Amino acid sequence: MTLRDTAVTAVPGPRSRAAGPLRRRAWAGRLFVAPNLTAVMVFMLFPLGFSLYMSFQRWDLFRPPRFVGTENFTELMVDPLFLIAIRNTVIYTLGTVVPTVLISLAVAAVLSREVKGIGTFRTIAFMPLAISSVVMAVVWQFVFNTDNGLLNIMLGWIGVGPVPWLIQPRWAMASLCMVSVWRSVPFASVVLLAAMQGVPGNLYEAARIDGAGEIRQFVSITLPMIRGAISFVVVISVIHAFQAFDLVYVLNGPNGGPETATYVLGIMLFQHAFSFLEFGYASALAWVMFAILLVLTVLQFRITRARSWEASRGLG
Amino acid sequence: MLDEPFGRRSLLRGAGALTAASLAPWAGGCASDDDALTFFFAANPDERDARMRIVDEFQRRHPDIRVRPLLSGPGVMQQLSTFCAGGRCPDVLMAWELTYAELAARGVLLDLNTMLARDPAFAATLKSDSIPALYETFSFDGGQYAFPEQWSGNYLFYNKRLFAEGQVPAPPKTWERPWSFGEFLDTATALTRRAGSGRATQWGFVNTWLSYASAGLFAINNGVPWSTPRMNPTHFNFDDDAFIEAVQFYADLANKHRVAPRASETQSTSTPNLFAAGKAAIALGGHWRYQTFIRADGLDFDVAPLPTGPALPNGHAARSDIGATGLAISASSQRKEQAWEFVKFATGPDGQALIGESCLFVPVLRSALTSAGFAGAHRAVDNLAVLTEGPAHSEGLPITPAWEKVNALMDRNFGPVLRGSRPATSLRGLTRAVDEVLRTP
Repeated sequence: MTLRDTAVTAVPGPRSRAAGPLRRRAWAGRLFVAPNLTAVMVFMLFPLGFSLYMSFQRWDLFRPPRFVGTENFTELMVDPLFLIAIRNTVIYTLGTVVPTVLISLAVAAVLSREVKGIGTFRTIAFMPLAISSVVMAVVWQFVFNTDNGLLNIMLGWIGVGPVPWLIQPRWAMASLCMVSVWRSVPFASVVLLAAMQGVPGNLYEAARIDGAGEIRQFVSITLPMIRGAISFVVVISVIHAFQAFDLVYVLNGPNGGPETATYVLGIMLFQHAFSFLEFGYASALAWVMFAILLVLTVLQFRITRARSWEASRGLG
Repeated sequence: MLDEPFGRRSLLRGAGALTAASLAPWAGGCASDDDALTFFFAANPDERDARMRIVDEFQRRHPDIRVRPLLSGPGVMQQLSTFCAGGRCPDVLMAWELTYAELAARGVLLDLNTMLARDPAFAATLKSDSIPALYETFSFDGGQYAFPEQWSGNYLFYNKRLFAEGQVPAPPKTWERPWSFGEFLDTATALTRRAGSGRATQWGFVNTWLSYASAGLFAINNGVPWSTPRMNPTHFNFDDDAFIEAVQFYADLANKHRVAPRASETQSTSTPNLFAAGKAAIALGGHWRYQTFIRADGLDFDVAPLPTGPALPNGHAARSDIGATGLAISASSQRKEQAWEFVKFATGPDGQALIGESCLFVPVLRSALTSAGFAGAHRAVDNLAVLTEGPAHSEGLPITPAWEKVNALMDRNFGPVLRGSRPATSLRGLTRAVDEVLRTP
């Protein structure tokens, strides 16, 4: 028994009176957290562990699972559609993330200005955030209509002939990237705008005194100061792009068509799990996707950290 | 807050009571029908009503058997697999000709031969009244996994007014005396109208079914079945010259002859709407379109057989596809006897007579096809033989547990051919890919 224990036992009165409400408070705290904790365990941790277990099984829901070792993973590596899905996902990721970051930077730079009517403009710019992906995809289907779509009508005004947006494989991927960028820009802009507003004003004042123009200020002050936010936006956008499913499913069909033009990893996963009832194979694919994302994210953070280190030593 | 422990407790208790109150009726609702026979099916609202008439009539005749209908949402297989994985596989389930083999191969469906062996009277009725090709559609790996309950093969609808205005002879009236691909093309060409801009104002032909499946139906009418053999196929005949010729003919209707709309031309108006609005003279589709067309204002239509291709000998009858749903019993059902009674009723002469009267389906038993009830429900149709003889003139599509994978491959590979960006000969590559899937599903 330690000295502290002895002291507590020796002087019970005031300590135990104080411990009662404290214990009750801790108990109440646990009680309040319990529903969320249960939800996290049931709906996140359990499926996570279960999908890892399933990735080593062959399971079609109707028959008991059968252990197949790493067969699902080895089959995946030689599946020609896996390579197509990877290629499409990379194209989609690049076609989404790069324009999203560039456009968001421009939008955030514009929105950070204090000019008349900026509140209304900000509200309009953030509206896509409030629309569900499925609704968005359905509306864009009308916009992309070859004969009567808004986009082709507008292109017609400047003499451009009808573009088969969702009909031709190459245009289908371009259409998908366009919608995805349109959906991602508001969130990215919010993050970048918040970061831009955190940049001290005296830096810009000093730059102006030194004769720096708007563009020079943006490149030499704003961008380095919001590097962390940009990095965050890139990581989140890459993760979202890898998880793409709902938009593709509604806009380009359940097979990621036409042909394999928009057959991305999310569609492949859904198809194997729910059309072919190959849950083990789909789980293996999910874990491979997780591994790719993990590697990408770690790489991204390493590069950002290295740059920050260089910048802090005046090498950036 | 700590000064008011009762307030917090009251709040928690209240929340608990509310949660319990909201869950109680839900749990009770689940438990209340537990002894009922479950019947899983998919239907649009009209079809649901027709199915419910059969359920109601069955319950009237069998008051001791309660039936709980389970209407499927989109994604039938997903819903069914979830039910079965959760240990609550429906007792009676609707089976589709192309996908039931997946369930049968996994042991989900009961071999109905075991029940037929104990019911020789019904077996005899079924044998004498059934159309063999439809019945055999659900015979797989030596078992009978469902009985057909409606035929959903495809045929042609044509707009009588547009034919009369164009002074074009009406299509043939029976499957036995079909027209040729050439005559079909001439008719569609004569009935296509264009505005000064070159844009079509009226199409000669529209397809209201899956494009690649319709192309395959033209191939069947050029003498080539989709696969060899039909059950558990080892080879798909997409590389057959006659198959390729028919698919090319079908693709050319839109891309070369411009008598049918291309995919981009049906993005804003669906093909059934084009026909219903009198902007298409001929439409390919199944009986599920009948209800849409009969309700269209001012649409006077009739039905006709498909054309036959040059590879078929002269005088060879035209073919539709099988196209059927059936009723199956779950192998794990605890109510097999009641389920058997229900399946017997719905697929037997009494249920089929109700199906025939509904105007929504084509029944599969000869007695129901030739009944006054079926004819009465199709008074608007002059060429009734196209419907009554349709099931007997249907050819089966492949039955394989790997259908979903084959279907995904077809969807991908037929696209460029039907869009006109690749010739139909490119389907030879698809044959290799499909055969590979059949070897190692």
